[in-house]
Order: sequence, then C-alpha cells, then structure tokens
Amino acid sequence: MNGITHLEMYQFVSLMLLGLGLFGLVRRRSLVGMLISVELMLNGAGLSIVASGQLTPASAAMGQLATLFVMGLAAAEVALILAIIIVVSRRFGHIESNNLRTMRG
Amino acid sequence: MEHLAYVAFGIYTLIILTGGLMAVLCRSMVRALVGLILTLFGVAGCYLLMAAPFIALMQILIYVGAVSILILFAIMLTRAPAGAEEAPYIFPWRSLAALAVAFLPLAVIGGMIRSGQVAPLVPPEEVPLAELGQTLIEPYLLAFELISVILTVAMAGAVILGFERRIGK
Repeated sequence: MNGITHLEMYQFVSLMLLGLGLFGLVRRRSLVGMLISVELMLNGAGLSIVASGQLTPASAAMGQLATLFVMGLAAAEVALILAIIIVVSRRFGHIESNNLRTMRG
Repeated sequence: MEHLAYVAFGIYTLIILTGGLMAVLCRSMVRALVGLILTLFGVAGCYLLMAAPFIALMQILIYVGAVSILILFAIMLTRAPAGAEEAPYIFPWRSLAALAVAFLPLAVIGGMIRSGQVAPLVPPEEVPLAELGQTLIEPYLLAFELISVILTVAMAGAVILGFERRIGK
C-alpha cells in the first residue's frame, strides 16, 4: 500500500462523498435532488469522524457519538426540509429551484 | 485476514461510488434515492470494517429506515410528473459549474490529507456499549440534551409548516 495509511483511505472515501454531494447540490434543479446531495455530504462527514476516532489515539467513543449526533441532526433537517418542500410544491406547483423566484409572506 | 479487509474495503468503496454517482446523475428521483440508499449501506459496511458495529446499526436504522423513507414521502407528496424526472439539461453549463465547485475543495482537502502530519495510528477496537452510554451522559451531556430539543423543535416546525395553508384560510 505505497505509503497510504488506513486513515487516509477512509478520509479519501469521505472526501469522495463530499465531492459527489457538492457536485449534485449545484447540478440538481429540483429540491428533492438537492436534499439527496446534502445527505451524501453528511454521510461523508460521519464517516470521516468515525475514522478519525477509531484509527487514531483519540477517544473512539466520542468519535462514534459525534457521528450519532450528525445522524440525529440529519434526521431533524430532513423532517424540516420535507415540510418546506411540501409547502413550496403547494404554493408553486413545482419544486424546480430555478423558478422559485417570488418571495411573499 | 489483512488482505480480506482490503478486499472488503474495495467492495464497499465501489458500492459507495456507484450509489453516489446514481444519486447525483440519475434523472429519475426514485433512482437517485435508490443510489443514496446504496451509498448508505456502503458507509455502514465501512463502519463495520472499523469495528464500530453500533454506528453501522444506527446508520441503517436512522438513515435507511427513516431518512430515506422521508425523502420518498417528499418525492410522492410533491406530485411530480410521472417518475419524478428532472427536465433534461440543454446546456452543460450547469454540470461544468458543478464539476468546478466540487473539484476545488477536493483538490485542497485531498492535498491536505496527503501532506498533513498524521497522528500515530492504532488498530481499531470495538467500544463496549456501556462505555458509549457513559460518554453520552458525561462529556456529551449538553449535546445530548440539545439534540433532543432540536429534534422536538424540528418536528413541531414541520407540523406547523404542514398545517400552514389551513391556518391561513
């Protein structure tokens, strides 16, 4: 394994998830597609935290629980975004982010 | 045994890559969601490989069990046109811009990972559940309480947003 450590391997996988998520976030035009991309990025973050906790002398338990918090935040965020998407689709009839231009109270 | 771990890691990485590409490239939202679920399973496999079975279980329980179902509801409830497909891309500008946006942080962080001073590595060890619980209520007590507040607020907010139309009338 020419000089690449286990930690680096996992970090590169999570970096790949971050890149895919950013790519999808900019490329997607519907809100659901953007939501899926955000989930990819959050997964990358969780993988990175657990890898850092498990493979270095840092506290493994704290690393694992930090990832658990990331998952909880992701669940809360998805519940809110689901409600927002439903409101947007009721009001505009579509969820294409390009055409959501009016802001009314 | 060592080689078996590398093989498993390669398979999981392949699953994650395939699922991630499906999630960002498929025009059908349902297929993109299937790609996301594939990625979630791949990441759960990585957690297992790092001797963190509890987190792997939570990943499947929370992400595959709850988050992806919520996204499926979002797809269903928006009454998108058949198959929930995005309109085809006429100009590739958007994809090019997306590539540029994704490449910059990849290059910067990737370079940092390769050049940075890495802490001495230890072989991963499984943390007993009791210790996880102890950590949750000792150093992480505030975060633990805050996340329950956040979950409650998010749930209440989602319900209020959902009822918004009826209140307005």
